[in-house]
Amino acid sequence: MSIVTEKSNFGRVYRPIIAWIVALLFFFPIFWMIFTSFKTDADAVKPEFLIFFKPTLDNYLNMTENYDYWRFAANSIITSTFATSLALFVGVPAAYSMAFNPTRRTKDVLVWMLSTKMLPAAAVLYPMTFLTKNFLNIFDTHFLVIIVLCLINLPIVIWMLFTYFKEIPKEIIEAGKMDGVNTWGEIKDILIPLAWGGVASTALLCFIFCWNEAYWTVRLTTIDAATLSKLIEGNRAPEGLFFGRLSAVSTAAVGPIIILGWFCQKQLVQGLTFGAVK
Amino acid sequence: MSNRTLPRLLQAPAVLLLLVWMLVPLSMTLYFSFIRYVLNSLNRPEWTSPSLSNWRGFGNYNYVLDAKDFWFAVQNSVFIVGGILFFTVILGLSIAVLINKTFPGRGIVRVLLISPFFVMPAVSGVLWINMILDPVLGLNGITVEAINNLIKDLKNLPIIGSFFSLSPELTPMSFRATQTSAYAVIIMVTWQWTPFAVLIFMTSLQSEDQQQKEAAILDGATSWAQFRYMTLPHLARPIAIVVMIQSIFHLSLYAEIEIVSRGNGNKNLPYLIGEFANNNIGAASATGIFAVILANIIAIFLLRMVGKNLVN
Repeated sequence: MSIVTEKSNFGRVYRPIIAWIVALLFFFPIFWMIFTSFKTDADAVKPEFLIFFKPTLDNYLNMTENYDYWRFAANSIITSTFATSLALFVGVPAAYSMAFNPTRRTKDVLVWMLSTKMLPAAAVLYPMTFLTKNFLNIFDTHFLVIIVLCLINLPIVIWMLFTYFKEIPKEIIEAGKMDGVNTWGEIKDILIPLAWGGVASTALLCFIFCWNEAYWTVRLTTIDAATLSKLIEGNRAPEGLFFGRLSAVSTAAVGPIIILGWFCQKQLVQGLTFGAVK
Repeated sequence: MSNRTLPRLLQAPAVLLLLVWMLVPLSMTLYFSFIRYVLNSLNRPEWTSPSLSNWRGFGNYNYVLDAKDFWFAVQNSVFIVGGILFFTVILGLSIAVLINKTFPGRGIVRVLLISPFFVMPAVSGVLWINMILDPVLGLNGITVEAINNLIKDLKNLPIIGSFFSLSPELTPMSFRATQTSAYAVIIMVTWQWTPFAVLIFMTSLQSEDQQQKEAAILDGATSWAQFRYMTLPHLARPIAIVVMIQSIFHLSLYAEIEIVSRGNGNKNLPYLIGEFANNNIGAASATGIFAVILANIIAIFLLRMVGKNLVN
């Protein structure tokens, strides 16, 4: 048993108390948003704490009417799902070949891929608008949003998959080769089942990043392919201060993602630091 | 198929896609930054479409460097990023050390703490500026109002009242002015990114050498000495990584600034690019190139560290 246990009063008594207070403070804005979403708009703008009120579900029931919520939500679901699938479809073979057939340049390629993530988006906004509007005619389409979301997350996806694949013993893959399995078979029947946890958490994290993306999805869409980020951004100065309904639509926009996020907090470190912190 | 073609073939789609994604828009930005290119011009209609005959050399760059807004935006970008880094690292370190030991409900504390990181930036901006920081309707205003009422009541009390007779009426801070809305941005981004720092520092704390720590305790090292001479050096690398990753992310901060400060003068480089891009594409592109250079200076250090780790 370790002797590094808490002996002092501070540790035993105050640590949990302080930790709980800090955690509750950090969660409070989210709680306040959820809390307000059950108030009527009239109650929500009263300049007082108003803890006791008659809760209402109207803000949620009228979400479609007030904000056309489901159209934006459907766009978010469609674009995030397809972008994540596409990123995995392109990323799995690439990460597979980097992990099991590394060359002298593999490291450079990986670092270069990361560097594409560090290009400030604002610097290339106008060319992207110009190209997609005047040239390719794909401005404000699901196709464009899917491609862009896939590309901005592809470096992280490849990087995460690479670190997971590297931990699989090479011999297992080689054994498959001996048995005459082709590359596609190796990936599908040997690699994916072995690295299933890693692939799943990569997909989850990619999905979360796609969902929360707020630069390209807002700039490259107008109506047809607009996502939830665009919906909320468009209501940044709520007309007549509809705090109640705005809280409800915000809660609906972030709630599912926060819950998904809880399941992949461990992988988040790896995904965001590119394996640099272990 | 030879041993080398297959791996290349498998990587090709990813590499090609990223190559196009990086090179095409960036070279267009570079091109636009050297020509006169405006979206609306009645006097000079030839400037409204990109063409080599409108070559301007470094004219756009000079124009941008002379613009007062540019230096303000650079300064403000650095101020906002610096403020966020300061608070996220300090808070992140304290919280990570605080919850690094087991206590009742630690799992729930972790879940609550990490949640802000998953809130989409647009929601975070709208939530904070309207419902929390607003000087009348937000919690900010409500709290100050409550304190004022409390003091007013205390003043009316018989003896104790005299202690409060001189206390002034408090006024809530408004976060909609140029300078204060930069504070608002710092507050909301710190709220979102402290969980990220906590997670990384905690991951790193778990790999700290426990035996060394036990030896230090037996030698009578105080908690502060342990933290200062063992934990902090151990965390040097994660701190550097948190600083660099956040710098890169926050230098391109946009959604929060757009929501909080539309039109009130608070701007950073990406926001200035957006403003230029309403008409003067040449200037917007030149500013974009400056932003790329700024981001690259930090990125080079980060990539070196990450690349080094790859060898081990």
